[in-house]
Amino acid sequence: MNVNTDSSIPIYIQIAEWIENEILADRLITDGKVYSQYQLAEMFNINPATAGKGLTILLENNILYKKRGLGMFVQGGAKEFIVEKRRDEKLTILAKEIVLEAKRLFVSDDELIELIKKVQKGC
Amino acid sequence: MAIVCNEVIKKYRNHKALKSMSFLIEEDKITGLIGRNGAGKSTLLKIVAGLQKATSGHVQIYGEQPFNNLKVASNLVFIEDTMSFSPIFNLGELFQMAKDFFPHWQDDLARKLLAYANISEKEYHHHLSKGQKSTFNLIYGLATRCKVTLLDEPMNGMDEAIRSDMYRAILKEYIAFPRTIIISSHHLHEIEHLTEDVLLINHGHVTLHAPLEDVKGLLVKLVGNITKIKESIPSAEIYYENESLVNGEVIVEATSIASRETELSQQGISIHPVSASEVCKYLTSQTRGGIDDVFK
Repeated sequence: MNVNTDSSIPIYIQIAEWIENEILADRLITDGKVYSQYQLAEMFNINPATAGKGLTILLENNILYKKRGLGMFVQGGAKEFIVEKRRDEKLTILAKEIVLEAKRLFVSDDELIELIKKVQKGC
Repeated sequence: MAIVCNEVIKKYRNHKALKSMSFLIEEDKITGLIGRNGAGKSTLLKIVAGLQKATSGHVQIYGEQPFNNLKVASNLVFIEDTMSFSPIFNLGELFQMAKDFFPHWQDDLARKLLAYANISEKEYHHHLSKGQKSTFNLIYGLATRCKVTLLDEPMNGMDEAIRSDMYRAILKEYIAFPRTIIISSHHLHEIEHLTEDVLLINHGHVTLHAPLEDVKGLLVKLVGNITKIKESIPSAEIYYENESLVNGEVIVEATSIASRETELSQQGISIHPVSASEVCKYLTSQTRGGIDDVFK
């Protein structure tokens, strides 16, 4: 992934989401060590303070925990928490956008469901 | 506090280049100094570097005033276009001498970066091309590892490829050895990923000094019927408006439409984000209509 500096989503949120995705994909597991802000800064070519902000959000949401002098680690149950949170927030917003656009284009409910099924098969 | 500027004024004969500038820069932050041509960026950096004396007000670098101060000089490096080095020494010899003056000089790094940029140590500074000069100057500045590093348009004249390499070099060096960096540019877009704070100046004044992420969310663009837009936000200050496009565009502060997004979209007005570099552009523009005003 590359961070998108043009996006209206702040870079530190993009970083937080990327780490969440790593947890969802089991590339980061419970009690596993997470990248430091300096590693993230190098990986994404961004200011370390920005990367640090991304980590802080995850810390505040209890997705990560801190061990003094050792770094940050994945909290138990983090994956389930992220799934639930993203379903509530992100997926609902995306669904709203799809429904709105479908309405504008006179797409019927059945056609929309058919379209989603078609896309799912492609994934 | 790494850098303190308090009511700094600089007059050149009848012209006031800086009109009472005050700001604080915290230690080990990368600050992007942004402003249009003639805003006072270079004058400000020259005063902070101690190359020029302010007409009034005071500047402190780690508690020391910088003008004519050897202690500041060996802990501060100022990289700019017109830097000149002795014509009788080649680049390798210039590095050799830097080692004696700068206590944290990274000789190995300087030579490796120079080789990477395909510039021979046997070259002389005044024989380099414009882009090569800039590259050498920046390498020199990074290798000093000075606690305060001032970079005035450091990428001037460099080609695209070396530019992104050099931005990466700044970041890597900063991570290895955090220091206070001010990097000036008229393209905020180019240095956005590197900077933590933005210091925007205009006509010798500080217009804005804020974290980059806050600058991004400062303004929004409303697109739709221009009369409708203005009716729905009667009290908002308008930074820019354009009615000559198919859809009218109005730029206002994000706070002026706070929590009214749904109401506006029901009226057919769409809301768009404004990038940090555009925010800087609108905050420093003279007219509300931009270039189109001239053609009216």
